Amino acid sequence: MESIILKHTLPKVFAQVADLRSEVWNQELAFEKGKTYLVEANSGTGKSSLCSYIFGYRKDYEGQILFDGDDIAKFSTRQWVRIRQTSLSLLWQELRLFPELTAIENVAIKNKLTSHQSSQQIDEWFDMLGIADRKHAKIGRMSFGQQQRVALIRALCQPFDFIFVDEPISHLDDTNSRIVGDILTHEAHRQGAGVIITSIGKHIELNYDKILKL
Amino acid sequence: MNLVWKLLRQHISIPQFVGFFFANLVGMTIIMLGIQFYTDTQAIYETEDSFMKADYLIVNKKISSMTTITGKSSSFTRPEIQDLESQEFVERLGMFTSSAYDVKATFRLDATTSFSTEMFFESVPDEFVDVKTNDWHYEQGSREVPIILPRNYLDLYNFGYAQSRNMPKLSEGILGAIRLNIELSGGGSRDEYEGTIVGFSSRLNTILVPQNFMDWANEYYAGTKTKTPTRLIIEVNNPTDERITTYLQDNLYETDQDKLDASKQTFILRIIVAIVMAVGLVISILAFYILMLSVYLLVEKNSTKLENLLLIGYSPSRVSMPYQLLTIGLNLLVLVIAFVIMMAVRNVYLEMFESFFPDFEKPSVLPAVLTGGVLFIIVSIFNVIAIKSKVMSIWKRKD
Repeated sequence: MESIILKHTLPKVFAQVADLRSEVWNQELAFEKGKTYLVEANSGTGKSSLCSYIFGYRKDYEGQILFDGDDIAKFSTRQWVRIRQTSLSLLWQELRLFPELTAIENVAIKNKLTSHQSSQQIDEWFDMLGIADRKHAKIGRMSFGQQQRVALIRALCQPFDFIFVDEPISHLDDTNSRIVGDILTHEAHRQGAGVIITSIGKHIELNYDKILKL
Repeated sequence: MNLVWKLLRQHISIPQFVGFFFANLVGMTIIMLGIQFYTDTQAIYETEDSFMKADYLIVNKKISSMTTITGKSSSFTRPEIQDLESQEFVERLGMFTSSAYDVKATFRLDATTSFSTEMFFESVPDEFVDVKTNDWHYEQGSREVPIILPRNYLDLYNFGYAQSRNMPKLSEGILGAIRLNIELSGGGSRDEYEGTIVGFSSRLNTILVPQNFMDWANEYYAGTKTKTPTRLIIEVNNPTDERITTYLQDNLYETDQDKLDASKQTFILRIIVAIVMAVGLVISILAFYILMLSVYLLVEKNSTKLENLLLIGYSPSRVSMPYQLLTIGLNLLVLVIAFVIMMAVRNVYLEMFESFFPDFEKPSVLPAVLTGGVLFIIVSIFNVIAIKSKVMSIWKRKD
């Protein structure tokens, strides 16, 4: 996938709002592969909605979203499964980890599906992010900051053309935020992928190609 | 362990699945056993000399006061026989030939007790005789005559006469060893013969001798070869056929009522088996309902996990599979155990069948197994589709 185009896309709940000022909603906008974007937003401006629409999880919007010119509203179940396994990765703000499984199992359940990363690579990320000792702890017993790092590793266990990360460092200190930024850019660069990061304030310091105000 | 299964087995309610398992087991067992029992009893109808066999009817003319007074013949004329034979429900027709000579039989029990009686013989063509034996033939010139007695004569003796007089009861085997002294007379001749009881018939309520002996003796002692028969035996393809009753009534014929009773018995038996199987089916349907409710509840409780699996790239089919395999596994286990129970129960009643009907040949269990298999496949297909559609509703975020 080379591009994601938003054509006058607008959440239905915003349709009645008269003075909507946004560089994303109700505009013509393209995310291109290989570039890095920052979407800055205030609370309640539809940041998570944007991620959900692009990921095919929600459809309560007006306008169109196009992948390489194809309207995603017409995609079949089979197409979405393939896209979620090979083209599009998303780190959810609410993480969507499985509290019954350990940290390493949460990563493995994804990597077994895609067979994308080696176990050495996964171990290395656990080390780099300082949670190697928590690998076999149940997710339910980890702090949100630790869970964010596990969710990031899981999001990287698949090939992708675009990766969306929804507030990845909201509960991380500066050091860990920097490491997350390094891993993310390195992995995206290796695959030539586009990166879209959303933030409501604190954001990873990267060389953004474009900063958009939602 | 498979991580997806580790996630999805959360919230599985063992009591619910045990409940389904036993309910379905009861239903499945009743259905399979019903079909097997039906197959096995069908085989009894087809066993020779069976009390349930109703394919042969013995027909005679009605004897009324008028026939007695007017002396009108109760024997069948040739056109009447031809007319009956040409009816569609008649497969084969045979005539009873009765003896036209005097018969006197003496039967010695011990040194002091003996029966002696005037009697008669009848014969039917050999293919209508229901006693299977190699001794059923008479060689011309021989002094030994095989005889078949009605089974109820033996019962009458054993349970009536012998019981009231404290006499020994007689088995078929002992009677077979006893010789009857038979004196035939007519046409100026008088000869002694030795009668051997070769069997007892449930179908033919008369004292039978082989047809070739009868033909020869009638000619020798009475000088007549053919005598118009008063009773006919017909083989019908379907004894419950309405046309039989109508035809017999129209022509003022009678038939042995108990044969038609036997056909009623088989009919009632079929109805009972059908009712039992219907009950089994209802139980199975309810069990299926319990299973679907349990699975729906399980999917509902695990809907967040299922949704997250779908969002990290698992396909709906892959996510449905553990629950589909679980239900198919349960259904298969039910099928296998129901089969084992069916075979165990069948062994018990087959022993009884075989003691009643030594010639009984065990029919195949294929119809019951096929029905169980088909039921298993149908239920499993429904389960698979229902689970998939439930998961798809999560995929589409429809509740």
